[in-house]
Amino acid sequence: MNENLFTPFTIPMMLGIPITTLIIMFPTMLFPTPNQLINNRMITIQQWLTKLTSKQLMNTHNPKGQTWSLMFISLFLFITFTNLLGMLPHSFTPTAQLSMNLGMAIPLWAGTVVMGFRNKTKISLAHLLPLGTPTFLIPMLVMIETISLFIQPLALAVRLTANITAGHLLLHLIGSATLALVNISLFTALITFTILTLLTILEFAVALIQAYVFTLLVSLYLQDNT
Amino acid sequence: MLQIWVPRKPYYVHVYQEIWGGMGLMGFIVYKVKSAGTRSNALKVLSPESAHGHH
Repeated sequence: MNENLFTPFTIPMMLGIPITTLIIMFPTMLFPTPNQLINNRMITIQQWLTKLTSKQLMNTHNPKGQTWSLMFISLFLFITFTNLLGMLPHSFTPTAQLSMNLGMAIPLWAGTVVMGFRNKTKISLAHLLPLGTPTFLIPMLVMIETISLFIQPLALAVRLTANITAGHLLLHLIGSATLALVNISLFTALITFTILTLLTILEFAVALIQAYVFTLLVSLYLQDNT
Repeated sequence: MLQIWVPRKPYYVHVYQEIWGGMGLMGFIVYKVKSAGTRSNALKVLSPESAHGHH
């Protein structure tokens, strides 16, 4: 049982060489480059979806924040499609590894913080103190706000990792439980129904990406717009 | 290759400056974590009896 539970999360190897980089680069193959003004149907649909998403996402930013739109859209698409591809049986999900999510969260969060401090130093420092706090509470509150600021990249990374890993693990467990209970047909129907509902709920891994990019967006938004 | 990089040059040079700094911070953290892991492994190899012998 030990071997079965951990095997979806081990680094996939081909002839002894880890092929993680290839797997991470695979979703790019699903997005062809638009060559002409009017492309084929798939590219047109992707362009329409990208435009819809980017407008929705970058609507609330000022021009300086909107320079990050390329970064946000590629981040969003990458996480979405990596998670969705991980729903296929026996596939490997790179975003289930904490190392990868930390590698995504730390540079982007640090980028927003540094941008805030570079361009609007006073306002960035003022964010460390909420409005209307009593005077004697100020030192403690500044400490609390600093800690919450530094927790942000960890929270971003761990949120994504934990959700994806837990979902995959649950599906594994419930699937193997169903297989084991097939002989006792009383519970089989109930458990297969649970698998079905869990699968659809896990499809909302896409909602997780919303959470990821939106939290990132909120942080950049706060830095740039006061 | 050039026609891929030239349109992206203003992004890499101006817009993503802070992100490069963040990547430097991440690289520093990775280096620290890896060196600590290597150090603990080396210590385990060097003195396994001192690590496990005091039960």
